[in-house]
Amino acid sequence: MTAHRVRAGVARLFQLALRRPDRAATEADAELDAVLDAKAEYLIARGMSPEAARAEATRALGIPLDAARALVHRSARHREQRLRTRERLGEAVATCRYALRTLRRSPAFAVATIATLALAIGATTAIYTAVNAVILRPLPYTQPDRLVTIGEDNADFNWRLGDAAPANFLDWQDRVSAFRGVAAFSPFSENVTLTGFGNPRVLKATETSGNLFTVLGVRAAIGRTFEDAETWQHSGRPVALVSDRVWREVLGGKPVVGQTIRLDGRAVDVVGVLPGSFSIPGLEADIWHPFAWDPADRPRTWFRRAHFVRVVARLAPGVTSVGADAALQVVVRALQAEYPATNTRMGASLAPLHDYLIGSAERPLSVAFAAAAALLLIACSNVGNLLLVRAVARSREAALRRALGAGRSRLVVQALTESLMLALFGGVGGIVLGWWGTAALAALMPHTMLPVNDLTVDWSVLGFVGAVTLVCGIGFGIGPALWMARGRAADALKDEARGSSRSARSRRWGDALLVSQVALALALTLGAGLLVKSYDLLRRVKPGFDPNGVLAVKVDVTGPQFDSTAATSRFYDDLLSRARGLPGVESVGLVSTLPLTGPPWSSEFAVAGRPPFPRGGDVVHREVSPDYQRVMRVPLIHGRLFTDADRPGAPSVVLINETLAKAYFGGEDPIGLRVAFDRIPDSTSHWRTIVGVVGDERQTSMNEAPRSEFLAPAAQAGDDGLTLLLRTTGDPLALVGGVKRIVRAIDPDLAISSVKTMGDVRAAALARDRFLTGLFLLFATVGVVLGVVGIYGVVAQLARRRMRELGIRVALGARRWQVQWLVVRRGLALSAIGIAIGVGGAIAVIGVMRSLLYGVAPVDPLTFATVPALVLVTAALASWVPALRASRSDAAEVLRAE
Amino acid sequence: MPLLKGTLNPLVLKALCLGPMHAFEIASWLADRSGGEFMIEEPALLQALHRLEERRLIVAEWGVTANNRRARYYRATAAGRAHLRAETESLKGSVAALTAVLESRTA
Repeated sequence: MTAHRVRAGVARLFQLALRRPDRAATEADAELDAVLDAKAEYLIARGMSPEAARAEATRALGIPLDAARALVHRSARHREQRLRTRERLGEAVATCRYALRTLRRSPAFAVATIATLALAIGATTAIYTAVNAVILRPLPYTQPDRLVTIGEDNADFNWRLGDAAPANFLDWQDRVSAFRGVAAFSPFSENVTLTGFGNPRVLKATETSGNLFTVLGVRAAIGRTFEDAETWQHSGRPVALVSDRVWREVLGGKPVVGQTIRLDGRAVDVVGVLPGSFSIPGLEADIWHPFAWDPADRPRTWFRRAHFVRVVARLAPGVTSVGADAALQVVVRALQAEYPATNTRMGASLAPLHDYLIGSAERPLSVAFAAAAALLLIACSNVGNLLLVRAVARSREAALRRALGAGRSRLVVQALTESLMLALFGGVGGIVLGWWGTAALAALMPHTMLPVNDLTVDWSVLGFVGAVTLVCGIGFGIGPALWMARGRAADALKDEARGSSRSARSRRWGDALLVSQVALALALTLGAGLLVKSYDLLRRVKPGFDPNGVLAVKVDVTGPQFDSTAATSRFYDDLLSRARGLPGVESVGLVSTLPLTGPPWSSEFAVAGRPPFPRGGDVVHREVSPDYQRVMRVPLIHGRLFTDADRPGAPSVVLINETLAKAYFGGEDPIGLRVAFDRIPDSTSHWRTIVGVVGDERQTSMNEAPRSEFLAPAAQAGDDGLTLLLRTTGDPLALVGGVKRIVRAIDPDLAISSVKTMGDVRAAALARDRFLTGLFLLFATVGVVLGVVGIYGVVAQLARRRMRELGIRVALGARRWQVQWLVVRRGLALSAIGIAIGVGGAIAVIGVMRSLLYGVAPVDPLTFATVPALVLVTAALASWVPALRASRSDAAEVLRAE
Repeated sequence: MPLLKGTLNPLVLKALCLGPMHAFEIASWLADRSGGEFMIEEPALLQALHRLEERRLIVAEWGVTANNRRARYYRATAAGRAHLRAETESLKGSVAALTAVLESRTA
């Protein structure tokens, strides 16, 4: 039987090949011969002899016979090629149409599959967008892979790649020839108030060495970047570069180079605008100033003791990072010998700049991506299983098409087209969901996980989705497709795939998919379980203060009217007394750095009349107003708190926290001891008396233990970047309007740079963990639901297949539970295998989560016991429902139906 | 008399609109209708047929002639008929214009 005898319509309906292999030349010869014959016959009929007729017919061609053959061969071959191409195209369209038609016939299946895939692809896409923006995309500099950061290491303080002291940075710049350039910037941005463009606006400003942009290989979009000399130009008019964003949004995109803007009341010359692509991940900055250090500072001790610059270097051509490190160590050792007071214990090392800037985000992002990938695999296995069930159900159709002459490859192509269609729709849905998910991520992801601003869906993301879609479509479709094309047509027509070896093979494939689903869902759930436990522990951590009912308002006290400490103090006194009068306010205070917002400045210290501590001491410092502890409800352990009498001119006093008291004074009473913030005090050291011990507050984060801390009176420190804290009996946010009015009444030129409740601060400190936990819970839930659907599907199919046998068993008097067990057993066995594999796999890889967990070991016995048990119970329930149904069916009816 | 350039296709289509024919029948029909003026050489005709088939203006099928011989029968498709109508209109226009120009007597 050939396709040619099947009517074209039937052939098309069943997607059979229409055109046979290339026979153009033979056919053209036959046609030419037929024409010659016909002509000769015509001539013979006119009375010519056969030989003469033949000769005349050939002569009438006008050209030799061979040439004529060549001509018609060419045109016929051309025709066949063109028609075949067109037919193939038509076939492809028809194949797609056929696939669409098949899918339309089972809309529930199509919608379920597409939705599952869209969800999984969408989730993966959104997270890939973040991974791409943060980890994969190269830094926006010239040859970013040749850039390293150099940081200071100190085992005593647990420093690794820490910020550098400027004098050390300058020596590396001068003495290490392995670098083509060494530059530095301040890793902390400060608030500055821009006036003259509408309302006063608070912008983030930071400082750099003059050569930073040269070393990074970044050119100004407009104007110029800084010059080397500007590192030291401490006198004269300050200059600034502005970010593209500020130039467009704040300065109105007008020509700005050479113009003067007012920052904190100072006139600043704008020398250039940075390109829009420029950013330093993790550093928020709109305004860039050169350091403008005083050359007289270079030999001073403090210039080598205060660590506040982040160093970036470009490797010299041909130098490896190992070679550069060796050259650096030579200089580090020389500096240790030259400056024993500051550098004895100070090392330095380098790391790729990308790794350093992205560092803290990489692990949580990769783990989130792994979770999304696991979800995608679960979804694919699920869809694969659904397709397989369909393929089994459609084996008759496949057999019929094979009987009608469809080749194996056609059936495979047809089945694959169907799964690719599903994947395609899923992919399109995934892009839409991913787009939306990316926006959600940008809003929800804490800055520590997403240290970049442009979370764009670029070509790399679209390429990724395309590849994922393709791989999914083929991955979950190939099994059923091959299965459908396998075996002899006659077999499938004879039996309905009941108990044959063919269906056993399909079952094994389906079982394997189910096992992998359960394993992956289990691993996801284990991850979620660990994170939930860790988050719960973290949430219970007492930060050392009571965040409820406290509002924190940071006012930037800047401008020429605040050029003296006295003026600043007057402002804060005024602010405090007016704030105290606001309705509902219980108490008010000031602090230099809010707890949980990162490490304040740190130093070593010494106690008067005692030898220096053998290993120094890395102690953090904050400045507070007298009522700070009352507002934050930090307990006074011993001694006294600050009072209004602790003013400039009065004896210098400090409070210490409990951790410091325990770590350095043991059981001794520290009250009355005098301390200086130097390891080896000299005549310039400033001595302060310890007057009290207060409770610990967590300075950096919820999961970092409190560090030893000194608290000094804000009035004596003369700080100008203080945050006002107000404790109220009601809703803290209700105070915002009142505080704004007060600030405006004192000085209308001041801008409020941030307003938040201490509840927000605590929430922000938990943000990364909350985000990851939520994400994992979501993924694990979806994964488990898909797994349950998968188990249900496989067991239900098994029950259907054994309906007859079960019916007979019931008829012969088997108890219902015995019959149910026969079915449940299989679901349970497969789930148990999946769980075993999942637990094993999780133990192997879950170590990567160690740094993301608080108070929980990655292989947490409780989690590893409860989660598998829960999954097993869920699996049992999912298997039991179809088993229950099977056992309830009426035996007689089942037997009759067969 | 040689054919005018571009007229072979419409002539062949015209023949095939009347019913299925094989190549020799088409040639004979054209010679007959033109009073022996249009004598087309078979290789050119076959190539023209192949190209028309390629454009799906005609389709072909092997069949058997009245003399019990195998022959490739061609027949015009719907697209072929439409094409012929359009071609006829444009050729008629050209001929009328040609005639008007060539027969004009005044400068």
